Amino acid sequence: MVRTRYFFSETFTSLKRNFFMGFTAITTVAITLFIVGVFAVIVYDIQGITSSIKSQVELRVYLKDEISEELKEYIEQAIIGWKETESVEYVSKDMALERFKKQMEGSDILKEIEGNPLPASFDITLNNPEKIDQAELRFYDRDGNFIEGVDDVIYERKVVKPLFAITAIIGTISFLIIIALLLAAIVLIFNTIRLSIYARRKEIEVMKLVGATNWFVRIPFLFEGFFEGFAGSIISIILLYFICNFLLIKGERAIADIMRIKELAIVGSGNVMLYVYLGVLVLGGLIGILSSIIALRRYVKV
Amino acid sequence: MNMIELKNINKIYEDNTVALKNINLVIRKGEFIFLVGPSGSGKSTFIKLLIKEIDESNGNIYIAERNICNLKSSRISQLRRNIGCVFQDYKLLSNKTVFENVAFALEVIGKPVYEIKIRVPQVLKLVGLYNKLNSYPHQLSAGEQQRVSVARAFVNRPPILLADEPTGNLDPGTAEGIMKILSRINLIGTTVLMATHDRNIVNSMRRRVIELEEGEIIRDQKRGVYGD
Ligand SMILES: Nc1ncnc2c1ncn2[C@@H]1O[C@H](COP(=O)(O)OP(=O)(O)OP(=O)(O)O)[C@@H](O)[C@H]1O
Ligand SMILES: [Mg+2]
Repeated sequence: MVRTRYFFSETFTSLKRNFFMGFTAITTVAITLFIVGVFAVIVYDIQGITSSIKSQVELRVYLKDEISEELKEYIEQAIIGWKETESVEYVSKDMALERFKKQMEGSDILKEIEGNPLPASFDITLNNPEKIDQAELRFYDRDGNFIEGVDDVIYERKVVKPLFAITAIIGTISFLIIIALLLAAIVLIFNTIRLSIYARRKEIEVMKLVGATNWFVRIPFLFEGFFEGFAGSIISIILLYFICNFLLIKGERAIADIMRIKELAIVGSGNVMLYVYLGVLVLGGLIGILSSIIALRRYVKV
Repeated sequence: MNMIELKNINKIYEDNTVALKNINLVIRKGEFIFLVGPSGSGKSTFIKLLIKEIDESNGNIYIAERNICNLKSSRISQLRRNIGCVFQDYKLLSNKTVFENVAFALEVIGKPVYEIKIRVPQVLKLVGLYNKLNSYPHQLSAGEQQRVSVARAFVNRPPILLADEPTGNLDPGTAEGIMKILSRINLIGTTVLMATHDRNIVNSMRRRVIELEEGEIIRDQKRGVYGD
């Protein structure tokens, strides 16, 4: 027996006639998921900022002036071979001087320089900046001295350690906030849908007494719950779209300017937003249906 | 065939009210029965047990010779589709129109739309509500709501019809009309059980009368009268 027609028309008329309840549910979904969505984007943004700061951390290995060409070659190959290495750049004495001159342009210091006191170096970018300790250790021998040909190994120790600690804390906190917001959203939506079903418990009882099976009663409610979740999601996606594209993107640019990070453009980058939208949509529909199923459980038992 | 059979039925509500005491009863297919007795004697409780709106405390109930005491949910739905019931409090769907309320009994058994569109107006015409098709229950008088409940109970021609004071809110003329309908339904083989306080109706029809008092059957009389 095909009941599809009944279920659809039933859902439609019921949405129409219980407009206020449906409207309440839709608004609840829209607002709560919007807040979760905005927060997800902000958290993602913060992660982006910290990781792009992290990726600017590099390890610099100064070489002794008298290092032989073979040894230099040997060390470079070794560095390339490590699993922590993302890329390595050789900066010769001449290049180092160029760079220094450029940085100090117009300064009196330049006049005092005779010859080239700057050492050659390998500038190493790591694929995981948190492994900077391990990478550094590779330049020491068993006795704690630098290996042959290496004069010094430096990185911005003072900045890097606290930075990693802070980003770890930010990461954990924002994760917890997202979870809490998500739970709050689920509870709120569930309660709203439960209330709207509670308001119709008499109706459910009558349907059962006239011979409707549990599923016959349930399905229109599930459709309704799904529709409310879905419609709410769509509204929150539209809100997210405008907020992110006009507000967040500005904030993001400002931060990028302050931090002197070239590209942050997380909000702008389509993929992330697509995932957020998709997440909101799936979440909305799912919570709508599941809330209905759970809320109905008690009342169909007549 | 024994359509309805009760064996040693007791019903004690949660608050320890004893509503039915040791009821033993057989109703044959095609009978028309009046269930009488003062208010609070257990008539509605009796009817609610038959459609499993409530569960018996102990004893066994057989409908069409099948024990209905331990049915699972889907079987209960099936049972209810075979028992039309006019509820004392009507039990209409407040969000649905008169048409939709009656149609619902056909929707649950999966009747096609065209059949619903023919049958529902026919039945509503019989109970005199053809002009109220699109009204909602709250727009109807008590008697009109009662007639919608009657229409819904027999629209799918169930083999058993239970009616809990179906004429309670009707004027004598309309009540007589409803009784004519019930008689006709009974004539085509439907077993009808009707709880009532209406002395005139019982006395004029002279059918089997079962009288309850404080939850016990005190009289079971063929071609009986309302009593004193
Ligand atoms: N849900 C309930 N919980 C507790 N007691 C109940 C419940 N329903 C009915 N009763 C009690 O059971 C007894 C029988 O009630 P029932 O409704 O069957 O009477 P009735 O014969 O239909 O009366 P009326 O003619 O007034 O409709 C009454 O004493 C009533 O108070
Ligand atoms: Mg009663």
